Parts: sequence; structure tokens; C-alpha cells
Amino acid sequence: MSSKLKRLFILVIVIQIVFLLGLVGYRETILAFGRTAVLQTVPVDPRDLFKGDYVTLRYEISTLGSTPVNQDSAKFLLLGDIITGDTVYVALSNIDDDEFSLDVQTGEPSARTDLFIKGQVTSINSDVITVDYGVEQYFIPEGSGLEIEQAVDLEVRVKINRSGTAAIDALIVDGEDWAP
Amino acid sequence: MKSEATNNGSAENDDQISERSEIISTVHTDSRQSWLKGRINLWRESGLISDEQSESIINFETSPKAPIRLGARFSRLIVVLSTLGAILIGAGIISFVAANWQGIPAMAKLGFLIVGQTATYCVAYQFQFVRGYPRVGGAIMFAGAAWFGANVFLVAQSYHLSTGNPDLLIWWFIGVLPLAYIARSKAITVMAVGIFVVGISWKAASQTDDAVSGLLVTAILLFTGAAIYSVGLAHMQRASTKFFTAPYLAGGALLMIIVTYMFTFDGLVNDTAQNSELKNFEVSSGYIAIAGVVSAIAIVSLLLANWKSIRFEKRLSVKLGEPAIITLTIIAGWFIAIHMFESAAPYIVLFNLLLVSQIFGIITLGVINKREAFVNIGIVFFVIDISTRYIELTNGMLGTSVAFIIGGLLLLGVGYGMERTRRRLLRQFGMMEVTQ
Repeated sequence: MSSKLKRLFILVIVIQIVFLLGLVGYRETILAFGRTAVLQTVPVDPRDLFKGDYVTLRYEISTLGSTPVNQDSAKFLLLGDIITGDTVYVALSNIDDDEFSLDVQTGEPSARTDLFIKGQVTSINSDVITVDYGVEQYFIPEGSGLEIEQAVDLEVRVKINRSGTAAIDALIVDGEDWAP
Repeated sequence: MKSEATNNGSAENDDQISERSEIISTVHTDSRQSWLKGRINLWRESGLISDEQSESIINFETSPKAPIRLGARFSRLIVVLSTLGAILIGAGIISFVAANWQGIPAMAKLGFLIVGQTATYCVAYQFQFVRGYPRVGGAIMFAGAAWFGANVFLVAQSYHLSTGNPDLLIWWFIGVLPLAYIARSKAITVMAVGIFVVGISWKAASQTDDAVSGLLVTAILLFTGAAIYSVGLAHMQRASTKFFTAPYLAGGALLMIIVTYMFTFDGLVNDTAQNSELKNFEVSSGYIAIAGVVSAIAIVSLLLANWKSIRFEKRLSVKLGEPAIITLTIIAGWFIAIHMFESAAPYIVLFNLLLVSQIFGIITLGVINKREAFVNIGIVFFVIDISTRYIELTNGMLGTSVAFIIGGLLLLGVGYGMERTRRRLLRQFGMMEVTQ
């Protein structure tokens, strides 16, 4: 291998390492400086040979519609046309207030919107859209899924950065931060 | 059209030795030797060569070639065993780490991943370029590239980022593609192309509605096949990149032909066309962007690859044949993406014509460029297409027994014709077919 190729080889290895560190740094930044929101969730517990155990999380805001999905859910207001594959921004500021609707829109919300989370529309059935926010998997040590599955009340504390990207900070099982 | 030069670096020499030994292994020794002896006697009697020379040629040609053949096969065995070994070790480590992921401290995890990946590359470098074990080194390098991909997923997992995310595959592809060129590794090239195909089609699927995702992802695969093939053509233009041509050309051609074949059935398009709700489905801007980027890669690569022949080549068929088929493939893909027609029939006619063009195109290219693999791919799909159309045609028209008998006779006839054609083509390549 010529010295030029050798330098390029080292450069590629360094770029790969920098990329991994960058990925870590980006997620750490969201966790350190992001704003906090607590989302109600329901777990499912699948298993994967290479990924280890993980729980799949479905949130109240995972399915949105222009009318209430069920009696207990909040009312969501879809602003403009939304199709599968679109990136949507869901305003979270008024999530606990029954008097207000949750705004869901394809354009980035205005600065007046207090807090919003970014997601991608994965399917649309009639008036109900399903959205993934990139926080639907929580990885756990092998064999510890049962404790989470049996929880009465399960919530997820997420951190959200300015562009709406969310990262899971902690799983809250029956009011307590869960630790494996 | 292109012809290939020989002798491009030691890696290519290795390949040529392998190919030569493969050719030797396919020779029907007895008939070839008796033919050769006859010819040499004729040359000697005509005074073209001396008695001494004729004896030397016969000795050279009849000496056992087993050591060469054994060497080439042994090399392949080394590559296979080393690659399997490296992958098994990597898979074991990754599986162990993944299963105990949350129990390992954050810094230890990150350190382990980076040190492990870097160490793998260092060992691969030592074996491949310093100690003179290119095959074992190449296999470890391949494992290093796989390790990088696993690290991308493990870091994502450690931050609970969804691992069902196609972006992770695209990052992996971007990370390993330069490595393939620097390490001159066809195996890593194949890995990178494979990751790209899966990643881009997965990304496209995430941009589409479930009801039409099958149709639209298949269209993306058509663009991707055209792009990969065109990139392969562009690689043929430079001596330094010619070594990497084969994985691109073979992969791209196979992908284009398989996807085109799928569209020749009315089922894939008809389901969508008959469903009035789906007839006017909307395609997201994200999908259009992906299709546009992949199509642009195909067109730019095609222009780069054919620039000289477009300007200087006088024969129209040579100048435009190959680019025309690829361009037609891309246009056909866009017809699907923008659902150009309301009924399935125009699509089926279009894709049947396209498939026939691709099959005859690839056989012609195989003959002109002396690429046996292309001829084989073309002939295999020719038979598959003929058989499919026969079954479609006779379905419900003939009794089962009559259909089987006629089909059997037809296939025997095609088989006979294929054998004759294949032998003739291989003779043109300077090869002989195995007859035992």
C-alpha cells in the first residue's frame, strides 16, 4: 500500500470513529440541553437475537386524528394536508389541557409554539394518522422485560431539542424512574 | 462498447490467475490434447515450427496443471473460511454486547466499540499489506467494515434510537464505501452495494403509504439497479477503478432484470389500478426526492461512461444501445412512480418490451465484451421469460397433460438451442465447455 493510500486508509478509519462519536455527542446534547416532556405509553415486549431485549412503546400521540380517537384521548387538529412519509410537528404545550386541541402540521411550528416534537407519518387510515417519533424502542437487559410489561402506569420522559428531535431520557414505571 | 484491458495491478493478476485456472479446469483434456497434437504435427510438417519447438509445445501443454488449479481453489477456500471465521467472531461479540448492553457503563461501551473496530482494521492492515496474507487480511477487513455497521446500530441502541431506521444503513454505506476502494476489496464493494440497495428501498418504503409501498419500492429498485449498473460503466472508463466494475455491473443488471420481470405480471400493477382509492394515491415529496436523486446518479454516471462513444462512435447501435435501455428502464420506473396510466395494460406491455430489450441487450453485451456471466444471466432470464409467458398463455386453454407435454418439448428445444448457442459463444471467448 502506497503512503498516500495508507494516509487515506487512516483517514477513513478516523472518519468512521468521528461519525460514531458525533452520533453519541448529538444524542448526549439532546439529553443534556433538551426540554422535558412526559408521555403516557403502553409497552409491548418483543425479543431480538442481535439487539437484545427491548420494549416497543406506543404513545397517545402515536395515533392522531381530527376527531378524538377514543373518549379519553385528547383532540388533535390536523393543519393542512398530510400524507404518508411527511414529517410532522406536533405541538405538546397543551397536551394536558382538554380545552385545547393538539396542533399537528407539516411545516415547522412558529416560535410562539412552546414545545413541539418531530415525527414521521407512517400510515393514514381514514381520519387517523400514525406517527413515529424515533422514541418507540427502549432497550433493556436480557430478561428484565416482565417488570415493565406488568407495570400499572408507564410513562416515558423524553428530551426534545429546538428542532423537535426527541431522545428517551428515562422510563417511569409506576411513578419511579426505572433502573435495570 | 467497451473492451477491457488486462494487467491492472497485482489484485487483478490474482483474478486473472483464478480465471485462467478456471478455464483450464473446464477443458475437456483428452479431446483438447489430441486436437492440439494434430495441429502441432501439421505446423511441423508445414515447416512453421521445428521438431524441437513442437516437442516443447506438446510438453508444455500436456504437463499437469493441477498445482495451479489447486492453488486457485485453495485461495478461494482460504477467503471463504477466513471471512466466515471473522464474521462469526464479530457476530458473537456483538450479540454478547447487545444482550448485556444496559449493564455495561456508557464509556466502557463506547471505548469497547471504537477500540474493537480500530483493532480489527489494524490487524487486517497488517495481514493484507505488511505480512503478505492478502486473503486473510481481506477477510478481516471485511469483518471490520461489518463491525462499523454493527457499531452504528449499537450506538443507536444505547440511546434508544429506533433501530428500524433506514438512515442507519445509509450511514453504514457511506462509511464503508471509501474503504472498499482503499483496500481494493470486491467483497466490501458488494457489501456496500447491498447495504445501499436495502437502505434506499427501506428509506423509500418509509416515505410511502402501506397500501402502495410494494409498488413504489419496486419502482425505486428499478432506479437503483439502473444507477448501480451505470456507476459500474463509469468505473470501466478508468484503469484505476476497472477492478471494481464487476460487482456493480452484475448487481445492477440482475436488479434491473428481476424487477422488470416482476412488473411483467398484471398482479403488481393491477391491484393498484383496480382499486379506485389507490388509483389517485399521493406520492410524498420525500419519495420523489429519493427517486430523483437515484435517477440523477444513474443519468450522470451514464453520461460519464458514454461520453466518448457518444462523441466519437459512428455506429448508432453501439453508441446508443446500452444507454437507451438504461434510460428506458428509468423512464418506466417513473411511469410507475407517478402512476402515468390508469389501467394495468400499458404497464404490462411496456415492461414486457423492456424485459425483452434487457435480455437481448445483456446477451449482446456479454458477447461483445466477452463476459460469460452476462451471457448466462441473459440466457437464464430468456428461458424464465419464455416459460412464464407459455404458462400464462396455456393456462386454462389446454388440458394439464397436453400443456405439460408441449411445455416439456418446448423446454427441450430451447435447451438444445441454448447449448448450441452457448458453446458457440464460449468458443468465441476462447473457452471450451465442460462436457462431463
